[in-house]
Amino acid sequence: MPIKHYLPFFLLFFFYNFAAAQNKFNLSGTIRDANTGETLIGATVKLVGKTSVGTLTNSYGYYALTQPEGEYTVVVSYTGYVSITRTITLNKDIKLNEELKSANDLDEVTVSAANRKNENVRSAQMGLERVDMKSLNSIPVLLGEKDILKTIQLLPGVKSGGEGNTGFYVRGGAADQNLIILDEAVVYNSSHLLGFFSTFNADAIKDVSLYKGGMPAQYGGRLSSVLDVKMDDGNNKEFKFQGGIGLIASRFKAEGPIVKDKGSFMVSFRRTYIDLFLRLSPDSAINGSTLNFYDINAKANYKIDDKNTIYLSGYFGKDNIGVKDLFENNWGNVTTTLRLNHIFSDRLFSNTSLIYNNYNYTVRLLNDVTNFKATSLVRDFNFKQDFQYFSNKHTIRFGLNTTHHRISPIDITTTQESQVNPLTQQKRYGLETAAYISDEWAVTEKLNFLYGLRLAAFSLLGPGNFSTYDNAGNILATDRAESGKFYKNYLNLEPRFSLSYLFNDENSVKASYNRNTQNIHILTNATSSSPTDQYVLSSNNIKPEIADQVSLGYFKNLEDNNYELSGEVYYKWLQNQIDYKNAAQLLANSNIESELLYGSGRAYGLELFLKKKFGKLNGWVGYTLSRTERKFAELNNGNYFPARQDRTHDISVVGIYNLNKRWTFSSSFIYSTGNAVTFPAGKYAINNQTVFYYTERNAGRMPYNMRLDLSATLEGKNKGRFQSSWNFGIYNALARKNPYSIEFINDPNDPSRTVAEQTSLFGLIPSITWNFKF
Amino acid sequence: MYFSIASILFSSCKKIIEIDTNNAEPQLVIEGKIDNRLLAQQIKISKSIAYDGQNKYPSVSGAVVTVSDSRGNIYNFAETQPGIYAFGMRGVPGVTYTMKVVVEGKTYTATSKMPAIVKLDSIGIVSNNFFGNERKTAAAYLVDPKSETNFYHFNLYVNDNASQRFYVSNDRLTDGNQLRIQLFFKSGNDNNDSDELNSKDKVKVEMETIDSNIFDYWYALSEQSGRGPNQGTTPANPTTNISNNALGYFSAHTYQALNIIVP
Repeated sequence: MPIKHYLPFFLLFFFYNFAAAQNKFNLSGTIRDANTGETLIGATVKLVGKTSVGTLTNSYGYYALTQPEGEYTVVVSYTGYVSITRTITLNKDIKLNEELKSANDLDEVTVSAANRKNENVRSAQMGLERVDMKSLNSIPVLLGEKDILKTIQLLPGVKSGGEGNTGFYVRGGAADQNLIILDEAVVYNSSHLLGFFSTFNADAIKDVSLYKGGMPAQYGGRLSSVLDVKMDDGNNKEFKFQGGIGLIASRFKAEGPIVKDKGSFMVSFRRTYIDLFLRLSPDSAINGSTLNFYDINAKANYKIDDKNTIYLSGYFGKDNIGVKDLFENNWGNVTTTLRLNHIFSDRLFSNTSLIYNNYNYTVRLLNDVTNFKATSLVRDFNFKQDFQYFSNKHTIRFGLNTTHHRISPIDITTTQESQVNPLTQQKRYGLETAAYISDEWAVTEKLNFLYGLRLAAFSLLGPGNFSTYDNAGNILATDRAESGKFYKNYLNLEPRFSLSYLFNDENSVKASYNRNTQNIHILTNATSSSPTDQYVLSSNNIKPEIADQVSLGYFKNLEDNNYELSGEVYYKWLQNQIDYKNAAQLLANSNIESELLYGSGRAYGLELFLKKKFGKLNGWVGYTLSRTERKFAELNNGNYFPARQDRTHDISVVGIYNLNKRWTFSSSFIYSTGNAVTFPAGKYAINNQTVFYYTERNAGRMPYNMRLDLSATLEGKNKGRFQSSWNFGIYNALARKNPYSIEFINDPNDPSRTVAEQTSLFGLIPSITWNFKF
Repeated sequence: MYFSIASILFSSCKKIIEIDTNNAEPQLVIEGKIDNRLLAQQIKISKSIAYDGQNKYPSVSGAVVTVSDSRGNIYNFAETQPGIYAFGMRGVPGVTYTMKVVVEGKTYTATSKMPAIVKLDSIGIVSNNFFGNERKTAAAYLVDPKSETNFYHFNLYVNDNASQRFYVSNDRLTDGNQLRIQLFFKSGNDNNDSDELNSKDKVKVEMETIDSNIFDYWYALSEQSGRGPNQGTTPANPTTNISNNALGYFSAHTYQALNIIVP
């Protein structure tokens, strides 16, 4: 439907009871941690009087509420913190900043039911998983690290790419359909060391939200999910240091005030040194190899005055992998974000961001005659202007976001002796601009809406040569577009709508519909993802990918919100999905778009989740039943086939047990159906070799995956300011040989027969880490 | 590449597993070659077998096989052995050949143009350092003609055993250069030690210049190296230039071969 037909209705609906706000006053302010001065995201502020309202603090710890004149009780609460209750007389606009004390310092039992929130039941938002990094022992430890991406993959609806694989999959989407942002900057590659670690060093991370569905309108550009990661601001009261020394990686973090209570900084480093151990090996195959990564997170903020705060944050990370005299490969992300929070009025909060980010890789082959160095880069400049308007029953969010992309697909330089020719593939430029508006509306005590619209425009910019192709991949025509020319434009309207209906404080149903579009795509025809996967923009050949998702859920909290129980079902339609022709050559190919096929997809599933939030034993159980399929006219006779990441069953169990003040045990267990893969249906001989005959695509299954990880943390005796702890871990404690790949080989006992040989990467891996804090 | 790094640096391990797959009906397989030597050119017709069957591929007899060329000649191939159809002739670069096979009531056709010859200058044995070990490999030396698109296919034999790998290359990134193309041997038994070249080994390299369809055919097979899930691309049948869903290919190519003894 054209936009102009329903936009007026929408706006009418939208601004409908704003004029009514009279004789009302505002309560607004910022909620912080009393020890560190860090702002608290998502803290609950309730105003209880003749009528009661509540809200959550935003990403910067800010909140605003509006109520008629009167006497009220203000309750500020946050999981893991001690609530504050105050009485106020609202007869003028009031500024109320509060600092909450962490319950960590107190006895566990004082974490009373009063500050156990039921926000998961109440909020219209669905498909959201939030992990607060500071909350009490809620994250299992893996190889000595509290890895946020690994934790996310233990939630229903989120599937890991598997060992040795870098991506993750959300509700049937591909690995490149996740929007991963760190302080608003896009992180194109979120993994280190063949997927073993994520790029998010837990020391530097404050808060993580994953949207599997019902994405609010301020997010866009990817189909499947949004992973919004926020860095620590740093302690603005005192200098603090912490770190860890482990077998695989070590970390160090420093933070402190720039000006006490006004500004703070945080820097954190992490590096692996597996290759230092490798160098000790007598085996020259191993001691000449390189395998390491490092990352640096840095952030500073300064509160200029009551109305203005400025933030600067950055991330730099790099992986190096190489074999002496053979090849070298490195890749990494750089992000920089400059932000200004400005409070226009108590009700209107503004954030302006300037963002730079890039992802680049280099591959070098060191052989004398095939010597070359190939580099590739994706670079974005991004401007965001976001407004939040807090009204009585509405929180309105609107803004603008524009990103300029530059992709340098590949640049090959060679030596004199090399037989490879230098090559520079044409750069591609794109401009993504989106305007959005959304409203979170408490319609009644029981009914909440979160609805909005996002208008997403994409333009493929000159300079460049743009070709069209016939079915065989031959060039039909080539256009030249000069610099600054908008060669191809796409406009998409993305409606977003969620609602919740509360039966009572402990029970609700939620429903949502959302459309998402995507204009930057990864091209890889390999069955596993790698750091050298290529990015392309939408073009005259590649249309924007589109996803429509509906979901329905039931949410229930039990025993004073100690238990959370939820069930969600979803169905997703995907358009303009990309696959590849046979024998597609994707590397260094200027006519890469001639190798592509376009089709559709669908995904549906059921997710069940039970979480115990408090007590000595906490943790969760998640189960996903799902189906993910793709359809291309040219593949599998035009029939639907399972996508590689299709997994029927996915089970995860996480348990954390606080034995006493010193010992904490955590464990996670996963079971999942094997990936969908293509197995031979016959064989024949070509050129004296056995060649396999294939019929249905991805009709076979790899063996199932199962893994148990265990860890134990021993806190050191309290010695004043200095605190330390030991973490002992076992990865894959069952030593199960999980499948990485399958190869069809001649039977060693009878070479005239074929057998399937499975390769597994990791057996049982022990780890030990010493952590400190002072 | 990442796979090999991972398997070396971590304690990767292998085991034989059972897989669940449906065996398809036998499919017709045609492997047709015309080269530029005067000899009995051969077109082989066979059938595919079940995945878990023994590697004995049934030959298909009684087919009517003809090849015609763009100069108006027609060659009627005769069945000399079961499933092998032959005709004594010499293919000529620049000429387009069309194969027609009538068998079991169906007609299969394919066309291939023989490219110009590119001289195989020599072959040699190159020693490289792989993960700290010196490893000898066979290499073909040639000069790629500038400003034209060339496609090459190689066959490698060590002590008369055909290497179990597909060797194919094009000049997309190496146009006009002196080329040393290394061919890594893979023996039929899955034991890495037997993939080594040793002194006194007899090495034979065959080089063919092929047309672009045939390049795609070999390239698709080579990309599925390892020929299993999570290795290379999603496996699929390579696109054939033969009509009517036959498996296999029909290639008109030039042929050169050189021999060397590993020093």
